[in-house]
Amino acid sequence: MKSFLKIMLFCILVLIGFVGYANFGIPQVKPAPPPTEEKLDLGNMTMDQFIALGEKVFNGKGTCTLCHNNVGKRAPMLDGAGEEAVANSAPLRLKDPRYKGKATTPEEYIRESMKEPSAFVVATFGSDGDTKSPMPNVTTGSIGMSEAEVDAVIAFLQNKAGSEVTVKIPVGAPPSAEGGAAAPAAPAKTPEEVIAKFGCGACHKIGKEEGALGPDLTHIGKSRNEAYLRKGILDPDADIAKNCPGAPCSPGMMPADLGTKMTGSELEMLVQYLVKSK
Amino acid sequence: MSFFSGFKRLTCLTLLLSLLFAGGFSFTSIPVFANMANAEEAVKSEGTPTESVKEGEKKAEYPPAPKLTAADYPQIGGFNPRILVWIVAQLHLWFAAFVLAVPIFVLIIEAIGMATKDQRYDNMAYEFIKVSMAAYSITASITAIMGGLLTFTLLVFYPDLFKYMASLFSRSMLAYAFLFFAESASLYVYYYGWHWLEGGFKKWVHLTIGLVLNFVGTVLMLLANAWVTFSMSPNGVDPATGAFLGSEWDVIHNFLWNPLNLHRVIANIAYGGSIIGAYAAYKFLSSSVKEEKAHYDWMGYTANVIAVGGLLPLPFAGYWLTAEIYAYSQQMGITLMGGAFAWLFIMQAVLIGALFLSVNYYLWCGMGRSEGSGRYTKHIWWIAALIVGCFLVWFTPHTLVLTNQELKALGGPYHKYLGPLGIMPAKNTAVNIMIIMTFLSFTLYRRANKIATVSWAASGSAIQAAIFVAAILNIIFLGVYHGYFTNTAYKVAASIPQVLSTAVVIISTLIIDSMMFKGAKEVGPLRWGKVPDRSQYALFMLAVSFTWLMGLMGYVRSGIRQHWHVNSIMRDNSIDAFTPTIGVAAQVVTSATVIFMAIVIFIFWLSNISSKKSAVH
Amino acid sequence: MKLPKLLQAVLVVVGVYIGFKLVFSVGLHQPIPSSLLTMYMFFVVVATLLVTTATEESAKEMSAPIKALVEDPSKKTIRNIVFVLVPLLAAWMTYSKLAPSFEAPVELRTIHPAPPSSLKAYGKSFDMMKLENPFSKFQKEDPEKFKVLVKEGGDVYYKNCHFCHGDKLDGQGQYAQGFNPLPLNFQDVGTIAQLQESYLFWRIATGGPGLPKEATPWLSAMPVWKDFLTEDEIWKVILFLYDYTGQAPRSWAAH
Repeated sequence: MKSFLKIMLFCILVLIGFVGYANFGIPQVKPAPPPTEEKLDLGNMTMDQFIALGEKVFNGKGTCTLCHNNVGKRAPMLDGAGEEAVANSAPLRLKDPRYKGKATTPEEYIRESMKEPSAFVVATFGSDGDTKSPMPNVTTGSIGMSEAEVDAVIAFLQNKAGSEVTVKIPVGAPPSAEGGAAAPAAPAKTPEEVIAKFGCGACHKIGKEEGALGPDLTHIGKSRNEAYLRKGILDPDADIAKNCPGAPCSPGMMPADLGTKMTGSELEMLVQYLVKSK
Repeated sequence: MSFFSGFKRLTCLTLLLSLLFAGGFSFTSIPVFANMANAEEAVKSEGTPTESVKEGEKKAEYPPAPKLTAADYPQIGGFNPRILVWIVAQLHLWFAAFVLAVPIFVLIIEAIGMATKDQRYDNMAYEFIKVSMAAYSITASITAIMGGLLTFTLLVFYPDLFKYMASLFSRSMLAYAFLFFAESASLYVYYYGWHWLEGGFKKWVHLTIGLVLNFVGTVLMLLANAWVTFSMSPNGVDPATGAFLGSEWDVIHNFLWNPLNLHRVIANIAYGGSIIGAYAAYKFLSSSVKEEKAHYDWMGYTANVIAVGGLLPLPFAGYWLTAEIYAYSQQMGITLMGGAFAWLFIMQAVLIGALFLSVNYYLWCGMGRSEGSGRYTKHIWWIAALIVGCFLVWFTPHTLVLTNQELKALGGPYHKYLGPLGIMPAKNTAVNIMIIMTFLSFTLYRRANKIATVSWAASGSAIQAAIFVAAILNIIFLGVYHGYFTNTAYKVAASIPQVLSTAVVIISTLIIDSMMFKGAKEVGPLRWGKVPDRSQYALFMLAVSFTWLMGLMGYVRSGIRQHWHVNSIMRDNSIDAFTPTIGVAAQVVTSATVIFMAIVIFIFWLSNISSKKSAVH
Repeated sequence: MKLPKLLQAVLVVVGVYIGFKLVFSVGLHQPIPSSLLTMYMFFVVVATLLVTTATEESAKEMSAPIKALVEDPSKKTIRNIVFVLVPLLAAWMTYSKLAPSFEAPVELRTIHPAPPSSLKAYGKSFDMMKLENPFSKFQKEDPEKFKVLVKEGGDVYYKNCHFCHGDKLDGQGQYAQGFNPLPLNFQDVGTIAQLQESYLFWRIATGGPGLPKEATPWLSAMPVWKDFLTEDEIWKVILFLYDYTGQAPRSWAAH
């Protein structure tokens, strides 16, 4: 018993030595607290600025207007007037027997429709009897909107429709993984980056992207030459393809302003990439 | 490097085999945790058929990693969830390490007994497994209880994290449970078959069972390692969302898996040796019968040799792991070595120094067992001086704590001569020399009782001395030249020839010794049991330091993730997301160590009672 | 005459202590920081005790004078003196440790703190995990161009940096002595040779104010260079730093 106590005393003393040295022998560096998830300016943002951010995302990073425009009739209008505005039609859709989502308020409905587009597909705009939406989840993939950006877009849509803006400005959430929609996009360095930057994959099957609205571009180099492809990007309505999957192709579907948005090198990179896609 | 690739192959093989084990059991069936994975979320992402940016996302049935808020962490009672989970996880790890280490230890002893045909080893191996069988079943069940408790606390306090991990590792968790069962089964066969499978071929069969037992144990650990390393270097999930990409092997085989595996396997051997050494020391001190004392002295010595065998390569495995952490993420690497945790490595250096000093002290004291040791004890002082010299280099920090006066005297925060000792080349040099010196202590100890009878004994010793000196000079040259006069790529490269020099010393000395002392005259019979009680405390020091060090390094391994549950995939948003200071961590680790020691002592006491009872019958 | 073992041990410890003081303070003019010396001496004492108690005879020799001091009736006077002196010594040590002094508290500064995972500069976000010097590739691909880039980096350096970091990159610029902490010495193997280029980019771009708390951003005088230099200029000056000092950035390519 005596040796047992001696051993215990020895072990405890050793432990006290260790813990004492760790506490008093070496300086206590207090590691920096975890970063609050980059507030950027959200904390100081007024609702007007938040709505403006939403508009920017809606027209830019979100690539929403690629389809939600009144030219191609590929997707329902969202920011129109009256019933056309999604913020106004949402209450009706929530009551629609075809609705299978979980939302209970218009705000939730819009958010849901951005993340799970198939929860409700507006008649004539979907496949498989309007149960599947061609729209991607906007928080993933090349669009990759953050929660705050989704909220900003909802605020923008509600504001545009003239209904009450129910969204709260989120605190402590990053507006985006890449530093916000406000940051001007850097020129793309590879054709894949060009495709991601301009959201080609939202409509076209190209590279790893699997859009199903516009013509399949994976083997476009076989049938089209360089000049045709370049013109096709700069002036998409000049020659309308006939082989769109789903409904027939129509003028105005593809944005006509790519020529002004792309840099020269981006355009050339993309054209060369397409020519080689055989 | 071929060693590492060989190791990789080995781990692949072991995993394959474990897959075979579990194959009929779980792989075709529905993962047991599937009901836990949020079914609604699975439905949600099915609704996005066109989303197809990355290849893996085609398998859209896997939900992304959840994004949590502070409200997602249940607060129950007055518990601090993190400290509770921390202590439980640490206890689980220690017990698991112990449970895995005992069979490793016993198998090594049994193999030594077979190779040397010395019945004592076999008896000791059997005795140890017998004595610890009671202990073992308790320990194993405590390990299981701790494992269950860990699962429970995780499930209660970190439900979303657990769900996410369970959804990724569903199959391997099932395999884990199955292997745990297999481990116990093979252990019982190994133990009860001991006398039945004796002699000749049967012994080989028995040894093979022991090998299977250890193999299963190792696979168990490798699986658990995968969960841990996944949280540090996630793989097999979408880096943006954390959604599972469909291959569990990718998730298991993440970047830091193999480095950690190697480190933990080696550490396990050393840890097992140190705990059993402490057991023997306890029995030695509490017994008064001469034969018993001799027996436990011998057991303590053998355990110590095995612990040292594991301790010597451990710094290199640790170095590889650290290098891989750096290679994986500079941020993680600097957080580890240069940032908030830099001082932890000073603490670690002190502990490792303590380990080396206690091992050496034990060997020096052990020379008292032999009458011929007088020839060698005069060398102790300069061996000690060299070890301490290296040790001082080993713990010199890169960032010095300076008073303002000292700052002025030095002309800045850099010390011209001590500063360079703070970086890796100096540490590598120091630790290599420390290892060589420890080995020298061991060599002298082995010689203490022998007198070589071969004619070339003098020149043989001279050659050995020359090898020692040459290797040390080479290590110093490599450290100084490559460490300070070339760039970093060479700095990493220089550590390999240094390790090789150390290996050459150890191997060549062992070979020359075995030839030189063939048929050597013994000075007198080794007086087992005739060691001072002081030496036994060195064994306790070893066990306690080892246990505590494991806890401390667990803190830093986990801490370098900072505020992430799964590094850069799943953020920790609980109120405990901050990183505690070393002082606080030391307090938690110490509390856990005390709990662990108390349970272990209780187990030894219980097994003592049961073995006494069986002696009466 | 053979000295008693205990005295030998004490002499060894004292000798080592004086040796440290002599070599570093007098010989090299770089005294050992007292915090470090305390730890050094602690382990020297421990090791001395271990060596002197390793064999039974020397352990007896060691403890004999202590035993005699406590037990021998003839040593009564000296025993009383020691028993008074030892507590006094302990009291004095405690007092001097706790007594307030005019010395400013020691401030611990991490010289190379961990970098953030991403860095915002020039209106975009850099992923520190993947960030690489866009010009490094020319070292192999186009050595001529690389030379030009290094030279341009040198121009940037001598226009902006050498005032503090010195024209030999040794941290001995004209203004260096005015700062605490001193500007870093890039020739030292413990500085840029330990770091990756992305780290240097972060440090140059965000300067002193961009340091995390443990590196005391309020002390560093380093300007926020992203406000004065372009992205390319920073990368070029990084090329120059490594080229001039003959160091290579930390990399794992050789591994």
